[in-house]
Amino acid sequence: MSLTPLLTALQNSGVAVAIRNSLYYFPMLEAIHVIALGLVFGTIMIVDLRMLGIAGTQRSYVRISSDVLRWTWGAFGLAVLTGALMFTTNARVYVDNTFFRIKFALMALAGLNMLVFQLTLARTAEEWGEAGKAPPRARIAATLSLLLWLAVIFMGRSVGFTTTGQAAKLSAPPPNVDFNSFLESSSSSSAPPASSAQP
Amino acid sequence: MSVLKSVHDWVQNTPPSLLLQRNEAWFIPTMQSIHIAAIGVVLACVLMMTLRVLGVCGADRSVLQTQERFGPWLTGALWLLLATGLLIILCEPRALVTFSFWLKMALVAIGALVAWLFRRSVRAHAESWDATLVRRRPVKAMAVIALVIWVAIIFLGRFIAYDQIWGRLSPSAVAGASQ
Repeated sequence: MSLTPLLTALQNSGVAVAIRNSLYYFPMLEAIHVIALGLVFGTIMIVDLRMLGIAGTQRSYVRISSDVLRWTWGAFGLAVLTGALMFTTNARVYVDNTFFRIKFALMALAGLNMLVFQLTLARTAEEWGEAGKAPPRARIAATLSLLLWLAVIFMGRSVGFTTTGQAAKLSAPPPNVDFNSFLESSSSSSAPPASSAQP
Repeated sequence: MSVLKSVHDWVQNTPPSLLLQRNEAWFIPTMQSIHIAAIGVVLACVLMMTLRVLGVCGADRSVLQTQERFGPWLTGALWLLLATGLLIILCEPRALVTFSFWLKMALVAIGALVAWLFRRSVRAHAESWDATLVRRRPVKAMAVIALVIWVAIIFLGRFIAYDQIWGRLSPSAVAGASQ
């Protein structure tokens, strides 16, 4: 079974074409992706540091995780959405990219680590959640989680360097609306609010 | 504009910069990854403090306790961002000739100042923060603005690589047009 027809259809889709033809959409998606993955990493770190007994030890694990993890999931959803939209623009290249493949393998491992933790140790969190440190197995899960997500960030950043070269940037089509025309229209004619304010 | 260009050219030819440029292939992605991880810490810390002021998260902790939990991590992450940012600039000084970078620096100064003022105020008036201040609309608005500033900083950081989106506001576009 080959994915090529599907990937080709994806990168020829209206959404993919629209993103490619805009000078603004891709940088915007990248920025939102950074915000989303930053929140995923930052909020997961709050929970992991609590398990490791490094920060937030005055609150129980249960309190912290119920406070924080819904934001992690919201941010993760946003990262998936922006990531998927960026993926459509060059689907066949991304699928073949080594860093991209490693990134998804690492995310699968991070997901598995989380799943095992949630199905086992997290179920008894009421018992150990007040203690300064979580049990050793939970601390291993927390360490793995931190390392895996850091590696995911590194792989993700490397995808950008290995899939969009200088040539791709130079051949980017001109924007439909640009700041030059905006600046010219506001400087050549007097600004409407100012002129209308004059008697 | 030409001042920025000459600073850029000078940095680019210094021995440490030349050394880093030879290792650019792994150095830049590594530094940027650490930079992004630190951004995540900043964002999560600011989000948690903002949500505490808004009364959405951490209601079992006082505003002072929340600041004491996240403030030091915010400061530490900001130092890490400064260090990795300087190293990235040293290796690849093109950010110095972008509009995005300088606007970002201005917002970083404002964002850091707001965080510092928040810390000072919470330490000096811990009780009134919990009793009255968190219920005041301007205070809540300020907490949201602080978060928005950091979000804007991240947008601008990413736009450094796409400074042409600013058109004539980009110093490199102006320099390119005059040549």
